[in-house]
Order: sequence, then C-alpha cells, then structure tokens
Amino acid sequence: METSKLLNEKFSLEYVKGELVRTAYSTEVNLLTKLDPRVLLIWYSYFAIVPWFIHSHVVLIGYLLFMIFLTYKAKVSPLILVVLGLGLLTEMGIIFLISLLFGGNFETVLPMFWLSIKLGGISLASVAVFTSLNPEKFSDALLRMGFPSAFSFSVAYGYRILPTLLEEFQQIILSYRLRGQAPSKNGIFYWRKLAYYLIVFIRSFYPLILNTAKRSRTTVEALETKGFSYAAKDSEMIKLKTGYLKLTYIDYSFMMISVLYLIIVHALHFVL
Amino acid sequence: MLKERYVLTQSQKMMVFILSMCLYGLSNMFTELVPSVNIGPIELQIDCFAFIPLALCMLFHPLYAAIGASTGELIFGELMLGQFGGIDELEKFILFSLGMCIGGMIIRNAQSRSQVAMGAIAGYGIFLVLSTIVDIVKVVIGVEDFEAVPGLAESIYVVEGVEFLTDLIFSGTLFALLPTLYLVPRLYGKIEPLLGMKPRSNKANYQINEIITPKFVLMSLVLSVIAFLATTLAELDIEIGVWEPEFVDTYGTQVIWIVIGVAALCSIAIIAYLLKKGKDSSKEDMSNIV
Repeated sequence: METSKLLNEKFSLEYVKGELVRTAYSTEVNLLTKLDPRVLLIWYSYFAIVPWFIHSHVVLIGYLLFMIFLTYKAKVSPLILVVLGLGLLTEMGIIFLISLLFGGNFETVLPMFWLSIKLGGISLASVAVFTSLNPEKFSDALLRMGFPSAFSFSVAYGYRILPTLLEEFQQIILSYRLRGQAPSKNGIFYWRKLAYYLIVFIRSFYPLILNTAKRSRTTVEALETKGFSYAAKDSEMIKLKTGYLKLTYIDYSFMMISVLYLIIVHALHFVL
Repeated sequence: MLKERYVLTQSQKMMVFILSMCLYGLSNMFTELVPSVNIGPIELQIDCFAFIPLALCMLFHPLYAAIGASTGELIFGELMLGQFGGIDELEKFILFSLGMCIGGMIIRNAQSRSQVAMGAIAGYGIFLVLSTIVDIVKVVIGVEDFEAVPGLAESIYVVEGVEFLTDLIFSGTLFALLPTLYLVPRLYGKIEPLLGMKPRSNKANYQINEIITPKFVLMSLVLSVIAFLATTLAELDIEIGVWEPEFVDTYGTQVIWIVIGVAALCSIAIIAYLLKKGKDSSKEDMSNIV
C-alpha cells in the first residue's frame, strides 16, 4: 500500500505533465542553449549516426563519457533519464534470460552490453540536444537548412500547443471520471482499474479529436492570413526570417573542442 | 460513370496534417512514458495508439493523415522527450506512414463496420510485419560476430517473434481494432464540417496514382536505400581511422600520445579562452560555458 502511494505521488499525471513541459521548454540557460541551433543540429547528426559504425570499445566509452558530461550540463529531467535507463536495462535483461534458455552464458550478453553502451551514448546525445533547443530557434534552423516548411512549422507549433493539449486532455479525462463510476474492486493485478482507465483514456480521444479539429482549422486560417504557404516557399523570405542566426565565438569553440575531443578518443583507441 | 475525385485544397491538407500530428503526438508522448509490463519473456506494452492515425486516415486523405501522424510521433515522442534514435526513426517514419496509409486507402465506406475493421487490422498488421523484419535485421547487423555467439541468434528470433504476436493480438485488438471501430462511425460526418470539407463518400474517389506520385515513390525509395546502406556499412566493420595501424607501426605509439597531448592542450587553451572571455564580457553565468 505504502509503495503504491509513493508511486502514485511520483507518477501522477501532474508530475508527468510538469516534467514534459519542463523538458519541452527548457528556458534555463546552459552550455548548449547558447549555441547556434544549426551547429547543434549538425553536431547531433554526427553523434546520432557515426556511433553506429564504430565497434571500438574505447571509442564508444569515450563518446558515452562526453554525452554524460553534456547531459549533466544540460540539466535533463530525471523522469526522462529513468525511462531511458529502464528501457536499456530491461532490453538487456530479457535477452540475457532468453539466451540462457538456449544454452548461452554471460558471454552472450556481452555484445548486447556494448550495443547498449552505443545506444546509451546516442540517446544521451539526443536528450541533451533536444532538451536545450529553443523551439523557435530550432524551427528556424530547420527552415534555413532546407527542411519542408510544414515540418519546421510543426516543430514550433508542437512545442507551443503541447501545454494546451495536455490541459485539455486532462480536463476531458477528469470529466469522464466524474461522470463515470470507477470499479470498487481492484481485481487481480489491478486489471479492473487498468481496464477502466484505459477505456476512459481511449474514449477521451473522441471529444479531443473534435476539439483539435476546430483548433487546427483556426491555426491554418491564421497561417493563411499571413500568407504561409506562399511565404514559406520564397527563399528571400526565409533568409529574412532566419537572419538572426549567426555563428559566434562560442559556436566555433564548441566545434573545436568537439573535434579535439574526437581526435583524442580516436587516438586513444590505438594506444590502449 | 466518371467518379468525382476527392480533392483537398492546400490549406485543408495542412489542417489534416496538423490535426493528425497533434493527436498522435500527444498519445505518443504517453506511450513513450508508460512502462511496459513483463510476464516472463512476453512483454505487454502499449506500443502505440494506432487507432488515432487509423481513424484519421479513414476519415480524411490517407496520405496527409499518415505523414502527419508520423511527424507528430517524431516531434512529440522523440524530439521533445529527447529520445530521437537516429537512423531507425527514419525507418519507423516510412513504415508507419506506409501501414497507416494503406489502412486508410482500403476503406471505401467509413460507415461499414466490416470495412473499418479490415482496414484497421491490415494497416496495423502491415506496419508490424515490416517493423519486425527491420528489427531483426538491425540486431543482426548491429551486433558484431552475431553468428559466433551461441544462443544469440535463436533468442533474437524468438524475442522478435513473440513480440510480434503479442503486439498483433494485444495491441492490435485493444489499441487498433476496437477503438477504431468505436471512433470512425461516430466521427464520420461530424468532424469534416469542422475542417470545412465534405465527408469522404464512397462515391467521391481519389486516384491512387495521385497519392503515389513518382516523387513520393522516389523519395521513399531513396530514403530506404540510405537507411539500408547505412546499416550495411555498419556491418562491414568500417571504422574511422582504419588506416592508422600502419602509421602506428612506423612511428610507434609515442606519436599518438603526442597527438593526444597536443589536442588536449588545444582544448584546454580554448576552455581557458572561453572562461576569460566570459568573465570579461559580462558577469552573467558564462561559467556555464565550460
């Protein structure tokens, strides 16, 4: 009973909501928020793709350490880190248990362990980068880099609309719960409660879909008043809109440090 | 009789896109955070609330609803939570859009329950089959000396197979089939006026070659090939700096230590410069830079 109470407090909808909003709106200034978003995106695309081609253990650990440092600096929400860690650990645990059935041993899980290190580095890179990207800047950087305008708009819009959507969704769920009757018994493994909440959850989407439809019409109408679909195709217009994106000495230093760090790590591979 | 074509204006396409993106994105945020329940090797997990894109694909233009949903997943579920996984997100984007799009295209009459059920199962099933295949291929490629490790190959196949079946039976009925059956007939005719368009009737038809344009096919082909090449390259054990062993032989390891030392010195110099500059320019928390 005690633990379930604690879990309820820790994992209430309020808490999750708060953490999500905090993650999506990192307003705190940190190392990564000061960088030009384009630099950050290019930097990230290196660290998201290249680790897949690396099998050297030294290099992988080097990458992971770098990412841990940046994640610490970016003040990532603990909820997200826990979800990430649990995912990696359970994946490994399951594979290990099943390979035991097929006559494997500790050796079997070793390749999976290195795969997890690899995945951990990549995931931490994305956590650090995307929690510290300002949505507006992010969207403008995407636009400048030639992504489709609908996509770059969606990024900024998604970040902006999220609190409203969450609020509305919570209201609908609460009103369903007020009008409905929760099961008095929990059942085995809480299945009655779970089923009840799932049904409420799914039903809540019916009003939500209708409300969102109205809102998306308003949004598109507002966009069209500003001439969105024509302006977004005009390169002069994009240049004007994203003109404030400038590289500063911080960007150059960050790139230099990253490159130097990479050189160190890759060189260590041949020594150790 | 020539059938009337189902045409949307530019802004209506955008509306469908945004609607689908917001809704599926929101639901995806929850599924990313809800922990999965393990019963032995069987994992009961809310993989995705596929009913939202399925319902929207059946009600509106399937292509825009499907791409919107995938974009929503990318933005809300991955970027915002910082769980962007790199190459495999591209694959999921393509596969998910494809599955949902097919699910929506099969439907001719959104009020016929049997058609809706068929579309839901087909859409979700196609997505699952494709992603299971990709998952297996990914592990085979991602793990070095895959064949050499005893028991690993079999365990991967079993895990993926069981996961596919539980997903299809558990998530397929609970989160794809039943909710879609509940939502689609209820929303049909109610939601379209809100977006200022007519319901998709079985008389008005859209042409398949209008959805699957050469550009669309080419794009998805190129993207798939890139994703595939990337994963095969990983398999080939190509490492950055593979030329260097000869270099080590000729000059000895000392040279490498020198390289490391120089790089470390340079980075310390840059950090020192940043610290100094930060102190000079303002008394703000520029020390965060380091």
